[in-house]
Amino acid sequence: MALSVSEAFPSPLPGPRRQIWSVGGGKGGIGKSLLTASLGWQLARMGRRVVLVDADLGGANLHTCLGLPAPERTLGDFIQRRVETIEEVLTETGAPGLRLISGAADLLSAANIKHLQKVRVLTRIQALDVDVVLIDLGAGTSYNILDFFLISDVSILTVVPEPTSIENGYRFIKSALYRRLRAAAPRQAVRQIVEAALDPKNALAIRTPVELLEQVEREDPEATEILRREVAAFQPRFIVNEVRDAGDVNIGHQLVAACARHLGIRASYAGYLHHDDAVWQSVRRRRLFMSDAPGSRAAEEVRQLARGLLKGESLGRGY
Amino acid sequence: MSGQGHPPGVGESLYRVLGLEPRASREQVERAYRFCLELYGDASLATYSLLEPTQLEAERARVRDAYTVLADAEQRRAYDESHGFEPPEPSPVPFRPPGAGTAGEEAEEAKLPPVLTGADLRRIREARGLTLRHIATVSKIGLRFLEYIEEDRFSLLPASVYLRGFLQEYGRLLGLDARRTAEAYMSRIPGGT
Repeated sequence: MALSVSEAFPSPLPGPRRQIWSVGGGKGGIGKSLLTASLGWQLARMGRRVVLVDADLGGANLHTCLGLPAPERTLGDFIQRRVETIEEVLTETGAPGLRLISGAADLLSAANIKHLQKVRVLTRIQALDVDVVLIDLGAGTSYNILDFFLISDVSILTVVPEPTSIENGYRFIKSALYRRLRAAAPRQAVRQIVEAALDPKNALAIRTPVELLEQVEREDPEATEILRREVAAFQPRFIVNEVRDAGDVNIGHQLVAACARHLGIRASYAGYLHHDDAVWQSVRRRRLFMSDAPGSRAAEEVRQLARGLLKGESLGRGY
Repeated sequence: MSGQGHPPGVGESLYRVLGLEPRASREQVERAYRFCLELYGDASLATYSLLEPTQLEAERARVRDAYTVLADAEQRRAYDESHGFEPPEPSPVPFRPPGAGTAGEEAEEAKLPPVLTGADLRRIREARGLTLRHIATVSKIGLRFLEYIEEDRFSLLPASVYLRGFLQEYGRLLGLDARRTAEAYMSRIPGGT
């Protein structure tokens, strides 16, 4: 079924101004949940009213990162209409200003929620009366995950300095962008080109968004302008986690440069977090390092990240 | 269909190849060149899955060609003139290419004034296109302390034994003589030398 742009990415219900941030990365085990929990904790500390959403519907564990037992009510209860409003599945975390909507670890089917259910979740999340909604996306590039990423005001892409993580990061970016372009495509022929491009071995030999736009230009110059605007508005922000030296820190700059030159995507580098044993020790104690080890290097770096992201700042390459 | 990751670069300026703006300083050209060599290096995590080995080699060749022109004052002047680019920004401290002999270092030391203020350091840093955050990242000195140094907020600076280390590292990253940078700055702090 073809979706219009407004169907695929519903506009928020009228309500207070709030920002949606999401943390994706395509790969599991790269620290998305811990990053989401710590960023949310810090934003709340800075006086923002924050709701964390665990959208890792297959393997929710954001509550564990916060040192909480599995909440009684989860997003699954809202999706399955066991409760009427999304506010009913909000859990207090114990930190002032920070609440949690837990994922549905008990519900295998929740990872495959239907389109209308997803639209209902997206719409209600966008209408929450808070300052920042921070969504922890699960691993992979399923449509549900990509759609959460695409409705966000701040779309964070986490990578670690390892080949598999970076490959998945690129795959995630391309998948998200193509999903956005598909929704914006004004005509069936253009939509078919975008769909073809999703297959890396497509017959049109389209390997990058730049080549995709070239192909669309040949078919439908008018549509190209629409797609170009979508590409320009797509601005993921990289966070490099688990860095160990200056070379690792530099990978974020290289990713931004590679995205601009070879994918035509305007990414930015929000910052990095060093590998820190203090984090690992807190995880073992099932406590969040922000409160458990506030003097640690990682905690200081999260504070810097939160400040920078709030101001929309990114790291410059230094030349 | 080019089959490349981006347009073949017809009309792309040598500055764009290195990710620079025209009028970039000599120091910036050097940094950009190092960055691009790493970006397209065989060990680069950021490009190996985006580009084929032959494309990587082609990118390295473009980078080298751009650098050959832009790193040479004569060739760069001719290139700028023929393409209508303004000449580069003058730098307050002359560029010292990597591996330059002691004659260059002596000349530079001679230019370093006996007294350096935080504002002087900031000017030199900005002329080199370096952000404070970059200095903090590379040096591992807290961003806050670097700000205090540039703002001359002596009462907030750490004990002189630490401050000296910070200043030496900061000076070194600016391409200045590390020891003399620390001395020239600390000469203004009561009991700081």
